[in-house]
Amino acid sequence: MMKCTIRGFGWVAVNGLGVGGSNTFKGFSPGELPGVQRKDLFDRPDRRFGRMDPFSRLGLAAITFALRDAGLEQWQDKRPVGIMAETFSGCLYTDGDYFATVIPEQGLLASPQLFAYTLSNTFLGEAAIRFGLTGNCQVVNSGDKCGLSTIRAAIETLSWCEDEKLIVGYCDLSDQGALNAPGALFMVLEPADGVAQPASLSLHIDEHGGLLCNDQPVDNVAMLVEQLVVFCAV
Amino acid sequence: MRSQLRSVHITDCALVTGLGIGVEQVWSELLAGKTAIRPVEHFCTTNYVSQVAALVSGLTATAGTSRLYPLLEQLLEQLDDVPGEARLITATTKGAIDLLEDHYHHDCQWDQPGNAKAVVPGAMTRWISKRLQLADGGMNINAACASSTLAIARGAALIASGTVEVVVVCCADLVSEFVFSGFSALQALSAQASRPFDRARSGLTLGEGAAAVVLMSDTAAKRYGRSKLAEVCGWGAANDANHITAPARDGCGLIQTIHQALRNAQLTPDDVAAISAHGTGTVYNDMMELTAFNAIFGERNVPLSSIKGALGHTLGAAGGIEVVLGIASLNDQLVSPTCGLEHPEPLAQGQVSTIAQPFNGDGNGDVLLSTNSGFGGVNAALVLRRGQR
Repeated sequence: MMKCTIRGFGWVAVNGLGVGGSNTFKGFSPGELPGVQRKDLFDRPDRRFGRMDPFSRLGLAAITFALRDAGLEQWQDKRPVGIMAETFSGCLYTDGDYFATVIPEQGLLASPQLFAYTLSNTFLGEAAIRFGLTGNCQVVNSGDKCGLSTIRAAIETLSWCEDEKLIVGYCDLSDQGALNAPGALFMVLEPADGVAQPASLSLHIDEHGGLLCNDQPVDNVAMLVEQLVVFCAV
Repeated sequence: MRSQLRSVHITDCALVTGLGIGVEQVWSELLAGKTAIRPVEHFCTTNYVSQVAALVSGLTATAGTSRLYPLLEQLLEQLDDVPGEARLITATTKGAIDLLEDHYHHDCQWDQPGNAKAVVPGAMTRWISKRLQLADGGMNINAACASSTLAIARGAALIASGTVEVVVVCCADLVSEFVFSGFSALQALSAQASRPFDRARSGLTLGEGAAAVVLMSDTAAKRYGRSKLAEVCGWGAANDANHITAPARDGCGLIQTIHQALRNAQLTPDDVAAISAHGTGTVYNDMMELTAFNAIFGERNVPLSSIKGALGHTLGAAGGIEVVLGIASLNDQLVSPTCGLEHPEPLAQGQVSTIAQPFNGDGNGDVLLSTNSGFGGVNAALVLRRGQR
């Protein structure tokens, strides 16, 4: 019914981080995330990256890797690419860090720098600025048990919106999100044009509303991740 | 593509703001030029740039509970029965953030899983789903001050594309010390009540409130016997890709958004009879909006207004509140007064007013453009058409 191609994906997990095509993706597991450093992502010094909160760094890293994997990291003109990011806890830890600056002097020392990152969608703005993305950028909190409603929403959105591509995925510092582990996973989706593309993954909502990845039914995020792991290993 | 899309109707709505409960009350107070902005009393504002906000009366919470839920109760009790098949989309930026404040003030650990689950925006979504007895667990959209505009856009797109028949959109945000202190630290608050589109504007005034709209297809409206209060006939969204907390000065993202919404509605700028602007009262936002409107509507003086000088900036709820009031605006063919205005910005001359302005537009007086923009560079627009009376 609705079919998309996954142009590329990027990930940050307990056991590492990288682009989808790097053959190192093993999925997500419990534990402590590596702190994402500027040099993990960019060759040059980056003042903005140094200011970001851990949640934004996590999300921006996975989006950067996804765009790199899709061959879309470099750009000349702004482009109509949107982002849809699912999170459970979002910037909750940054909220705590920020409010800790409010309490001691009854707000006199409240940090404007931290406050700017107390919206869960701030990192989408960071990605939009860095990569010239002018599409619809939003964070969603779906909380559905299978964790796939955001992927469905992204596929639906691509079928009716004016954005050429949509970056969709998950980002959580806690293990309470759809990945059931701390980490981030973002995929670059574009409408399938009917021409089979070699060495690419597809996502598809069938006539019964079922979600398929490379024609294999996926009932939850773990099954989707497994498909990506298998694709990387081939 | 639009010719294949179905009509989307607003069949029910609800509203809670600092000016009262229900559309009729809030609209009549707005038309009378009243303001809900008053001194904040539920936390200490001594060290902040401002001491005022637009507050909903009677919202109290005991230790360990949030003011959000009494607000939502006041909202949802206004709605007729919402069909169980409805998809739920909510919009809030910080939800029950006062719970996190509460934990800090009582020196409790807030970041335990149970506590986190109550504070995150998804908690509001779950609560509303249960309260309305919906099969759908719902989805919250967080896109700063454009959250509820995007939520309504998504709901409309779901119906227009034939994916679902009924969507209920609920949005809410509180005036909390968390948010108040942050905007103060950013120097974004006005010391006095905000003055959207005024030459002497100096920042925003926060507000709290909630709104709900029920969207239905033609088929569903007929099946459930509901009136068509207004039609959502176009929507658009785009990012400035320019700055995290400031709008693009040339209004590029908002211009793209409005063009998208008009294309989607199969309308031209000439069809727009009035504008419900974001109009926060900050120097840069208001100028950006006027620049964008000027680029789109040229020298045509389209009546425009901002409600934020009366109701404050309600963040994630702003777009939803403005849509509900937009229905009243279309019914009465009036744009509301822009409270706080004294000397309009030159670009807004002849468009904004301290009194309600009629619009008729030579037979085109049934289309209202409603826009919002926010942190992260987001812009969103909705095109509303007057319902069948």
